[in-house]
Amino acid sequence: MKLVPSAATVKNALSAHAAIGLLAGALLYLVCLSGTVLVFYEEWQRAEQVDAPEMTAIDAQAVQRGVAAVLESERGKPPTTHLYVHLPVPELPRATITTDTQAVHLDAAGRIAAPEENKWSEFLYGLHYTLHLPGVVGITIVGILGMLMFALSITGLLAHPRIFRDAFRLRTRHGGGVGLADWHNRLSVWTLPFGLAIAITGAAIGLASVTAYALASRYYGNDLEAVYAPIFGGEAKPDTAPGPVPAVATALDYMARNHPDIAITYVTLHDPMTAGQHIQIVASPPRRLIFGEYYAFDAAGRFHGTAGLSDGAIGQQMAASNYNLHFGNYGGLPVKIAYCLFGLALTVVSATGVYIWLGKRRRRGVYEPRLLGAWHGVIWGAPAALAVTLVARFAFGNAAPFTAIFWGLLVLAIVGAVLVAGRRAAAEASIGAPATI
Amino acid sequence: MGSGALPLWIAGLLGAGGVGVLRHAWSLPQRSPGWNAAGWLAIAAAVVVAWGHSGAWGVSVAALVTTTAAFVALGVAGATAPRGRAASSNRRAGMLPQPGEPRHLARRLGTFAIVMPLGFAVALLLGLATRGLGMALGWGEANANVAALFVVPLGWAVLATVLLMQTRRMQLLTMAGCAILCAPLMLTGWGS
Repeated sequence: MKLVPSAATVKNALSAHAAIGLLAGALLYLVCLSGTVLVFYEEWQRAEQVDAPEMTAIDAQAVQRGVAAVLESERGKPPTTHLYVHLPVPELPRATITTDTQAVHLDAAGRIAAPEENKWSEFLYGLHYTLHLPGVVGITIVGILGMLMFALSITGLLAHPRIFRDAFRLRTRHGGGVGLADWHNRLSVWTLPFGLAIAITGAAIGLASVTAYALASRYYGNDLEAVYAPIFGGEAKPDTAPGPVPAVATALDYMARNHPDIAITYVTLHDPMTAGQHIQIVASPPRRLIFGEYYAFDAAGRFHGTAGLSDGAIGQQMAASNYNLHFGNYGGLPVKIAYCLFGLALTVVSATGVYIWLGKRRRRGVYEPRLLGAWHGVIWGAPAALAVTLVARFAFGNAAPFTAIFWGLLVLAIVGAVLVAGRRAAAEASIGAPATI
Repeated sequence: MGSGALPLWIAGLLGAGGVGVLRHAWSLPQRSPGWNAAGWLAIAAAVVVAWGHSGAWGVSVAALVTTTAAFVALGVAGATAPRGRAASSNRRAGMLPQPGEPRHLARRLGTFAIVMPLGFAVALLLGLATRGLGMALGWGEANANVAALFVVPLGWAVLATVLLMQTRRMQLLTMAGCAILCAPLMLTGWGS
């Protein structure tokens, strides 16, 4: 039995594919491009601050001293609601404490060594996560782009019935759009499992906020935390009465005694220095996609239980696997290199799609030099602007205005490319020469 | 990787070998069901072996190895491709009007409104209904909530695809069908 879609289905699927591709267009390209570079998030952070103290492990007592020192440094200021201790892992062998108002590196003895300086990495993260748009709006738009990417995969398969049969045909030396179409189709089909995984996990992460609001409104009396509590565990009742520095070392000692093979990635203190404070340890079991299991402790470091991300309901394990599957941080450098390579392929696919559409219109006699120029501006302007922000990071330091530089240069690149294309087309028209793509 | 990783190596080899067999099958002048089946079976076996070794993590790693093998094959195809002048496709996508054609702006805006904001609303409805159905069927709160978080993007993508391939009348019927499907769960307390 052959599963071949009808000619009408193929035609409709191509229209749908073009409509979605043009709708997602430049923003999808930016998300693919920034995601490809963001695969090396930890490595970028290390490159930004090469003199930060590094270590393969840190002693539990040293972490305790670091937590006490940071909390002491904030005495008299508005209390932080959370305190996160990043513990050394192979990708980022640093101990870093982050509160609501500051982030500092610790040395191996637990002394505060230096403020964290990773603004370029955070800028890149913001570009990929929210396109630098505020809060829920940005992440939802990126989630919509993930959904559109999934729809592009479906319509692309329907619109090209021979896509598998031709999967190894790459006519790189054919002109007139054939080579371009082959690159687009071959990279699409071979990155399909990767692309689907990235699209679905990205869409789920991006649209989770709005979906959770809807769930909270319909089923939980607008209590947003209650939506996530069955998945990731709930927050304890706050009690703002003063409390001592929590016994982080006791909790870490418990983990070392009872789970010596599981790498601890984070210690989180909820409402530190209050009577309602509690400790949460995130630890990643080997050969799992989940980002980690939550181990809950009270302020005295007594173990209370796990959230069940590693062995609880399948939904919990799925939700906890979403992030690593999307960002590719589950198998060290080899997996990151593969994610970068396939991410680059997806970036090329998103870039070539619009070029193919413009090329087809050109061959039917509809030449739109300014539109083509604008697309050139996006495709070459975005990586160039990104590169300039990186140069600015090393030339001017952590405080350079990366977001303004990137978006300013990108707009300039697009406007400039449109103007150049318009002038060139006018000049060619005046001498009667055909413009070329 | 230690000796305990042997099944994962086997899974990777099966995946890469499957790509090689498919490369051969699809280069034959005529369709070969035998070679095709052998290629896909090798890839399916890679998934089974990887899952048996280390679950979803193993499958993800084996998939990356398989995809890398395909990229190598593709790289060879690209590097050895002869020069040529095959005619390129002129298939019309119908996204923008040809010169002289009416713009149909109202129709295009209508399609956008149906697929994007209305599509999102219907996808949210599907997600909420799935959560309610899951609770009613005893999936448990974590599974039901996570199901909703995934149904919204997946449902919207499928809905967008279907809607963009339909006539206006069929689009409205599809939306109405989804709403009717969700109504029992949304209008009653079932699954709350």
